[in-house]
Amino acid sequence: MNPREEKVKIITEEFIENDEDANVGKRKKNSKVQRQPRKKQPPTTGPDKMVSEESHLGNQQEPAQDKPQTRLLSVTARRGPRSLPPIPSASRIGFAEFSMRERMREKLQAARSKAESALLQEIPTPRPRRLRSPSVKELETEFGTESGKEVGSTQQEDDSQSYSRVKFHVSARKIKSKPQVPPGFPSAEEAYNFFTFTFDPEPEEAEEKPKHQDGTNQEEEEGEEEPPAQEGANRMDEEELPHGKDAENFLLGLDHTANEFLAVRPADYESVHVRLQREKEMLFIPSRLTVPTYKKLPENVQPRFLEDEGLYIGERPEVARTNQNIMENRLLTQEPGRRWFGDDGRILALPNPIKPFPSRPPVLTQEQSIKTELETLYKKAVKYVHRSQHMIGSGDPSGNFQLDIDISGLIFTHHPCFSREHVLAAKLAQLYDQYLARHQRNKAKFLTDKLQALRNAVQTGLNPEKPHQSLDMIQKTINEYKSEIRQTRKLRDAEQERDRTLLKTIIKVWKEMKSLREFQRFTNTPLKLVLRKEKVDQKADEEAYEAEIQAEISELLEEHTEEYEQKMEEYRTSYQQWKAWKKAQRAKKKKKKQATEEHPEEETEEPYPEEDPVKPTPPEPTDQAAIEQQVRERAAQSRRRPGEPTLLPELSLAGSVTPNDQCPRAEVWRREDVKRRSVYLKVLFNNKEVSRTVSRQLGTDFRVHFGQIFNLQIFNWPESLTLQVYETVGHSSPTLLAEVFLPIPETTVVTGRAPIEEVEFSSNQHVTLDHEGVGSGVPFSFEADGSNQLILMTSGKVSHSVAWAVGENGIPLIPPLSQQNIGFRSALKRADAISSIGTSGVTDMKKLAKWAAESKLDPNDPNNGPLMQLISVATSGESYVPDFFRLEQLQQEFNFVSDEELNRSKRFRLLHLRSQQVPEFRNYKQIPIYDREIMEKVFQDYEKRLRDRNVIETKDHIDTHRAVVAKYLQQVRESVINRFLIAKHHFLLADLVVEEEVPNISILGLNLFKLAEQKRPLRPRRKGRKKVTAQNLSDGDIKLLVNIIRAYDLPVRKPTASKFQQPSRSSRTFREKHAASPDTRSPTHSADYPLGQVLVRPFVEVSFQRTICHTTTAEGPNPSWNEELELPFRAPNGDYSTASLQSVKDVVFINIFDEVLYDVLEDDRERGNGIHTRIERHWLGCVKIPFSTIYFQARIDGTFKIDIPPVLLGYSKEQNMIIERDFDSVRSLSEGSYITLFITIEPQLVPGESVREKQFLDLLAGDEEEHAVLLCNYFLFLGKKAWLVIGNAIPEGPTAYVLTWEKSHYFIWNPCSGHFYGQFDTFCPLKNVGCLIGPDNIWFNIQQYDSPLRINFDVTKPKLWKSFFSRSLPYPGLSSIQPEELIYQNTDKVAAAELQDRIEKILKEKIMDWRPRHLTRWNRYCTSTLRHFLPLLESSQGEDVEDEHRAELLKQLGDYRFSGFPLHMPYSELKPLIDAVYSTGVHNIDVPNVEFALAVYIHPYPKNVLSVWIYVASLIRNR
Amino acid sequence: MAAGGPSVFLLMVNGQVESAQFPEFDNLYCKYCFVYGQDWAPTAGLEEGISQITSKSRDACHALVWNFPIDITFKSTNPFGWPQIVLSVYGPDVFGNDVVRGYGAVHVPFSPGRHKRTIPMFVPESTSKLQKFTSWFMGRRPEYTDPKVVAQGEGREAQPS
Repeated sequence: MNPREEKVKIITEEFIENDEDANVGKRKKNSKVQRQPRKKQPPTTGPDKMVSEESHLGNQQEPAQDKPQTRLLSVTARRGPRSLPPIPSASRIGFAEFSMRERMREKLQAARSKAESALLQEIPTPRPRRLRSPSVKELETEFGTESGKEVGSTQQEDDSQSYSRVKFHVSARKIKSKPQVPPGFPSAEEAYNFFTFTFDPEPEEAEEKPKHQDGTNQEEEEGEEEPPAQEGANRMDEEELPHGKDAENFLLGLDHTANEFLAVRPADYESVHVRLQREKEMLFIPSRLTVPTYKKLPENVQPRFLEDEGLYIGERPEVARTNQNIMENRLLTQEPGRRWFGDDGRILALPNPIKPFPSRPPVLTQEQSIKTELETLYKKAVKYVHRSQHMIGSGDPSGNFQLDIDISGLIFTHHPCFSREHVLAAKLAQLYDQYLARHQRNKAKFLTDKLQALRNAVQTGLNPEKPHQSLDMIQKTINEYKSEIRQTRKLRDAEQERDRTLLKTIIKVWKEMKSLREFQRFTNTPLKLVLRKEKVDQKADEEAYEAEIQAEISELLEEHTEEYEQKMEEYRTSYQQWKAWKKAQRAKKKKKKQATEEHPEEETEEPYPEEDPVKPTPPEPTDQAAIEQQVRERAAQSRRRPGEPTLLPELSLAGSVTPNDQCPRAEVWRREDVKRRSVYLKVLFNNKEVSRTVSRQLGTDFRVHFGQIFNLQIFNWPESLTLQVYETVGHSSPTLLAEVFLPIPETTVVTGRAPIEEVEFSSNQHVTLDHEGVGSGVPFSFEADGSNQLILMTSGKVSHSVAWAVGENGIPLIPPLSQQNIGFRSALKRADAISSIGTSGVTDMKKLAKWAAESKLDPNDPNNGPLMQLISVATSGESYVPDFFRLEQLQQEFNFVSDEELNRSKRFRLLHLRSQQVPEFRNYKQIPIYDREIMEKVFQDYEKRLRDRNVIETKDHIDTHRAVVAKYLQQVRESVINRFLIAKHHFLLADLVVEEEVPNISILGLNLFKLAEQKRPLRPRRKGRKKVTAQNLSDGDIKLLVNIIRAYDLPVRKPTASKFQQPSRSSRTFREKHAASPDTRSPTHSADYPLGQVLVRPFVEVSFQRTICHTTTAEGPNPSWNEELELPFRAPNGDYSTASLQSVKDVVFINIFDEVLYDVLEDDRERGNGIHTRIERHWLGCVKIPFSTIYFQARIDGTFKIDIPPVLLGYSKEQNMIIERDFDSVRSLSEGSYITLFITIEPQLVPGESVREKQFLDLLAGDEEEHAVLLCNYFLFLGKKAWLVIGNAIPEGPTAYVLTWEKSHYFIWNPCSGHFYGQFDTFCPLKNVGCLIGPDNIWFNIQQYDSPLRINFDVTKPKLWKSFFSRSLPYPGLSSIQPEELIYQNTDKVAAAELQDRIEKILKEKIMDWRPRHLTRWNRYCTSTLRHFLPLLESSQGEDVEDEHRAELLKQLGDYRFSGFPLHMPYSELKPLIDAVYSTGVHNIDVPNVEFALAVYIHPYPKNVLSVWIYVASLIRNR
Repeated sequence: MAAGGPSVFLLMVNGQVESAQFPEFDNLYCKYCFVYGQDWAPTAGLEEGISQITSKSRDACHALVWNFPIDITFKSTNPFGWPQIVLSVYGPDVFGNDVVRGYGAVHVPFSPGRHKRTIPMFVPESTSKLQKFTSWFMGRRPEYTDPKVVAQGEGREAQPS
């Protein structure tokens, strides 16, 4: 089907609908016309077609408003039947028609544009133009629903309208003159028909008729929506529609060319003007003009702008002004139009509901598809909880609370049914109430008394009876009194006057009422006023009156004189000034005169002097008579005349009301009207009606008694409580008189205690009554001539009481306060207005006010109410602004115990200390639950430390200087730990996330290469051990692995001379030692040992944290053990954190012992039966490695020099071995014993990041760098070539050594131990060299190797050493930060000796402690021998004294088997000494008859440097 | 509670790591461990565990099911430091390198009874696009030094930059 046809059909169907809806009568009207097409209808056409034809005609009378409603519906509903297959011929013709139509359209376009432009010009004034423009828009929309094409065209024309108006002025005229259809148009159609169809001449007429019908029809339809002004253009538009219709009709007609159906009539044409006229009658087009306000409001009502009155009006939604006007115009013509308008004459509107910011879902990124966003999510149904935030005790079973509202009654203070008398009565009653209230307060009396008292005070003050007060003071107080008297008098006068006027008004009203009653000859109210006179004593009264007046006069006089004096003074000064000025003026004038003579042209310069001071007038003296006159007048006005009786009004209801039958008719009507009226109240809780009172008839006294109590079982916190007063007249519907808002009671108000309160209300209703009732809101008058009009509004009072109910057990059913706070915001808001904006405790009100002003808070918005109030109060300065700031104002709520109690709790203290990371408690685990389980001793250490913080303890340290140093160190350590702990909490990304570095090209290339590499799974590769972060470790997880591989050059035993009892020989042996070759000695050597033992049977014992492990015993001076020892590691306090591990101060002692077997058989005869040997072990030396070194280095691998005491009794170095190994002359310099070790921690720990920790550990005795610098400086001072070497050493790690150049050799010095090594010494602990620091430059190692063995130390070679200061950056000649000279004080020798004794004593005690099961005997003789020997060792540095010493010892202790050695250490603390002694294991000898010897020698060096020698020995007496 | 010993309360945790949803990945395994405060100590059960490798289920939801049991008992004297379970999921990437696919932590439920928790998983991002590419290419994605950091707040404060 052709689209055009379809469209036409759609339109026809609309009419079908209309027709169906329309009255049948309407159809009858044009039954003639109806009949005609029906005749024409071919029988084959569907029923709907027939109806459609009908509709065309029927629609002519259709009311306009029906159409748009039905349109859409009908289209959709009818689409089905309409799409029946068309008649076969239709398509063909339709097609033919199509081209024709195209042509037609073109023509039409041209014509239309012409016509339109012409029409546009028709409009001469701007006003119609404005009127028309909306209609054009309407036209658009109408067409829009019908056809897109046409919309397009019309729009185009619309657009063109705007600029082509003037242009087509002339052509418009033309068109207007003949508004009919262009004559050529139908002819074209005719032609078309003529050429397309073959038919008789008759149908030509018939054809025209439907066309016309259709045409008008269409025009009518369109015209219904179109304004008349546009009519012409529309007509042109519509031309194509009739055309389509036309064709259809032709079609139908063609099939059955039945001429007899057609009635031939002349063309039915209706003039446009007529049609317009008719349309005007039917259609209403709202004007776009602004509606004047008075039209929108009830008559005689001024627009009322609520906003100006300070009421809150929300922001109105934005609507275009024109649309508003149209709407207003439309509303005005509608029936109840005015109710749409508010008091301000604007259309009522709710506040704009549109949020100022969009809450749209986030914009989709491209990655997400829209589908996912639009996906439906299943959500389980949730029970809707109504306004849960306002709910009280939602989870609380006892959540019902009760509010009792007692409404006792209602009194109207004005009612439309009030008669005039009632009005007066109400007024009287009100005045009387006022009088009573005033009388009760009796302010006048109070003020009079006060005045009297003040006067008395002044009197007494004037009397010079009080000499002790200074005159000034008295004067001052009197002045104060006087001013107060003045004030009080004024107040009293005002009060008295008010009292008097009130009384007068009461009497006046009463008189009016009486006259009214007389006038109307009936009484309506029982009110009766009785004035009770109280006689007064005339004489006394007069006296008092006079006295009062006199007093006042005198006071006033005084005031006036004072004032006069003051004014006089002013006058005098001003007069003086004036006089002076005058004089000056005169002098000036004189001068000027002279001047003008000389320079006449300058005369005009000063015609007016600055200000001519007016001559002051002297003030008038006070006139006593005038004042008296004044006072008396005033007294007469405001005061009771003397002798006049006091009047006491009494109002009573004793009067009688005239019965109805004696009243005039109007009054009877009024009374009847009153009787017909009844009143009831509705109770609204949170804006919902919860109950209402019974309806009570209005009494003649306009009082209604209810006496009802409503118990509101409430669930929500009350937000509002409202009573609505409804009045019913007869049987009509109740009208709302007024709303009364009741305050929500305080929580303290409970039933039984609540007072009855009265709340006033008023209504703005306007009532005019046709009887005696005065009405309300309308003017009325008491006067006969209607002057002095009064307007009274209905008003009244509701007496009620609201209270919280009390439960059965006496508990008030009030929601708890806390819930109010939490659950209900506005309750909180009341407490703290600022909390409503999210903050609380803000005290800077000025800032707040500023903020409020800036953010343009609407002061009328109820949401901002509390805030605004707060601001206004605060800015006015009346409120109390606290001068403190509450940081956590809710803290109080959470305090479940008092602070003292909390502080007393041991558990809390423990938790607190732990969270403060106090060292003692930092790692405290499982703090007990109960206080009673916490031992008091837990705190002892901590408290002791706190106590001792500033007390220097000398007990542990013996030497005071050391103690101070130790304390200082302790403090430094603490502060460093604390700093470290703080630093521990600052994480960098790298601390948390392991991320690969961006690889550079070479690594990338290597990796690429690796990809190509063949995979050989069988090739094993060493993999790095996995590092463990020391966080989740516990005791026993960490083990220290010590691999003892081998040792070199251990000392070997020497045959003890004591065995042979030949001192001479033994001495000879000693002599021999240097002379004889070892080969000659060896036989004797082996012969020395009874059990045929080898030279030495060494084993290694590793002790760490008092755990001891030892290897098996090997043999010979170069033993090889290759054993792995495993020692458990315990972190201090079980804390395995990095920080804790770093601070472990434990040292791994690796002691080398010689195992010696002794035959203990006492009897040689038993030798055959068994072997009884005793194992003794002799300490040979040790290596100490601090744990921290192992921890930082992860593993320690290398050969270390064994720390062997300078004198080892009974042992000597195997010289021969060294000589045999004579590979280097330098080698001999570092002779000694060595041990090869490998130490590591299992699992491998991740060392801490901070190196500072290590530094601080080293700080215990100054670190290596400091030592090295010092040593280097010594060398330089001695004139040697020396450098500081920065590099890595074992076991220190990164450290500093000193390099010296001596005799064409380089020596490397360990600054801490003082050992030195040759450059090519394999046992040199320095493993690599990074840089050298000389006195004037720094060199960096850029050689291929960094091992001291392989590098060249010649810093002059720039290829090997990169210097820091070069030609480009010359040495600036830096000055040293060190002092030029170090001053060494001598150490106090006495103190050193004392210390020596104390150390010896302590060590002896320790040894005895270590041997708890054995008796420890001290060999004093031996001790003294040793003591003498130690200074010798110090002076000789342990060199070459051994033999002499041995000889001497042997000589003295001949029959003892002796093993012992001196230990040499620097002194810093006592503990290392003790540890060193312990590690030697001397105390372990459990031979029953063992004796010990211990000697300590301290050699003091300057600057308090102490060298400690400890000689430990065990002696076994030989039998 | 041992007689005479300090009073403690016990927290017994039974459960399992049931399944995971990693829409883009397959063949994943997971590790779990617990993070707890100083006043807590495990008394029984395994503190750490590593699950089997699982493949995606064939059904529509493509869940990775482990059903890996958790069974641990803690004793404690203080609710502060309530245990959290930390889960980390690993799996092979395109090149077969084992990379982390997600970290997540949740508190052990505070109330007794059966609880089901869904833990959102996340991985640290590379600091730059280049790093992202290289880490993808090398199969060395950024990882936490210790999975336990996800249960701790330290060092994750917002910092002014």
